[in-house]
Amino acid sequence: MEIPYNSKPRPDTGLYNGKAGIWIFLASEIMLFGGVFSAYVLLRVGAEPGTWSMGLMNKWVGAFNTLILIASSATVVLAWVSLKLKDWASFRKWKWATVIFAFTFLVVKWSYEWPAKFTHYDVTFVTEESASKVYTDVLGPEFSETQSKIWQERFDPLKKDQEKSPLAQVKLKDKPLDGHIVGYIDSDGVEHEVGAAWGIPFWSHAFAWRHDRKNIEKEKDKSIRYGEDGRPVYKEGHFRDTFRDKDIKAIIFVPAHGTWDREEKHASSGTVNYAEAKHDAGHAHSEGHGHTITIAREDISRLSSYEPAHSTFFATYYTLTGLHALHVLGGILVMLYHLLPVSRRVYEKNPVQFTNRIEITGLFWHFVDLVWIFLFPILYLL
Amino acid sequence: MSDEHSPEYYKNKFIPLIYLVGAILIVGTIITFAADKMGVFTSFTNAIIFAMAVAVVKASAVIYIFMHLKWDIKLKTISLTLGCTVIFFIGMMWLTVGSEIDSNKPGHSDNTWNHVTEPEPETAPETK
Repeated sequence: MEIPYNSKPRPDTGLYNGKAGIWIFLASEIMLFGGVFSAYVLLRVGAEPGTWSMGLMNKWVGAFNTLILIASSATVVLAWVSLKLKDWASFRKWKWATVIFAFTFLVVKWSYEWPAKFTHYDVTFVTEESASKVYTDVLGPEFSETQSKIWQERFDPLKKDQEKSPLAQVKLKDKPLDGHIVGYIDSDGVEHEVGAAWGIPFWSHAFAWRHDRKNIEKEKDKSIRYGEDGRPVYKEGHFRDTFRDKDIKAIIFVPAHGTWDREEKHASSGTVNYAEAKHDAGHAHSEGHGHTITIAREDISRLSSYEPAHSTFFATYYTLTGLHALHVLGGILVMLYHLLPVSRRVYEKNPVQFTNRIEITGLFWHFVDLVWIFLFPILYLL
Repeated sequence: MSDEHSPEYYKNKFIPLIYLVGAILIVGTIITFAADKMGVFTSFTNAIIFAMAVAVVKASAVIYIFMHLKWDIKLKTISLTLGCTVIFFIGMMWLTVGSEIDSNKPGHSDNTWNHVTEPEPETAPETK
């Protein structure tokens, strides 16, 4: 049985049914993205100073992906016009161009931008003394001014919170030091390197610290229960791949983002391929810095990669960009279907029906572009 | 887009329009990006106004030309759907943002989420 297709506009709506349907669907999509956008804006406006890491966004990558998506929006409408002009070869050319642009967008997003974040870690410290010791090692004894600049650029590049003086409110031990974990030291003092992903040191136990903390047995008064060996007691079956399992005494860490200049970082770290180090220029540093540092396990209060659980900022960032990327993926699948031989047969049988399908797909694709037009400034620039 | 256009219209009018919109989108992106990189924004508010203004211009070009609303806006289904969406969305946002604004007014103590149990009002001892 074949479903009858009516390409004539209905007198009551003035549209053919498929087009009326896609507009109603897009209206629901506006609700969906509008709600998530509003959540982001509310959380951003109400965020405590020093919690919104937007200064870490790679603006060059964001701008590149914006241009890619703009190009795809133009090619998808050119594909539709080609069908209107009854030029199948031209249609395929523009459709393939759209798919390639869309695919490039996802490759940049999922194979570079997100993984680069998963390989960055924030370390905060147990005491002011331990934080001061590490920052002195990284930036020299007069670290305060440079550290303040990095802090400002990371959490408040547009000086939104300046009047609230976040530096005065946040203790040094709670100011995260960011960078890459390149290795660890075990209980025998032996150094181990961690693996690399996409040229960036990547610790496969990305979630180890969180598991480690979460699965420690607690006393009735919520304090940590220690065993006879003086170590925390872990819940049964919850010690694999954790700090305890590997008996990690310290992590070997390469601070990033402005702690020293780019050339020295590369010279000192060999294969380490850093993400954007936007705050580098003009930050003087003394002799001996730019090397890896060692941070003892007992000095670390929190260790987290830039994963969704890192902070509200990253949770909303991944939600927004992830939801958008899923729409891009959905669009790619539909457009690939339009390039299959079966679509050619539909076109030959009923050219108007197929042209309308392409128009509807195009409307969806332009909506995906529209969302990104607002996502780019909100997430990367503001 | 309605089907009344001739192939000549698509070739001579519509395709140049596509390239024009593409150019507007690219220039808009570069302007916003360059303004941010050069640090021309003097305050957070200025940055929001500028970036959102450019984004709205870009979005309008996409909706108007790429999504054919220039030709389709007369159609009541699209107009009604978009109109209802905007009204519903503004209403929905007002409920959340509006309540947030009210609760943040100076001197206002917000105990919406405190779940504090109000003490039982003391009742007078029963008299027989």
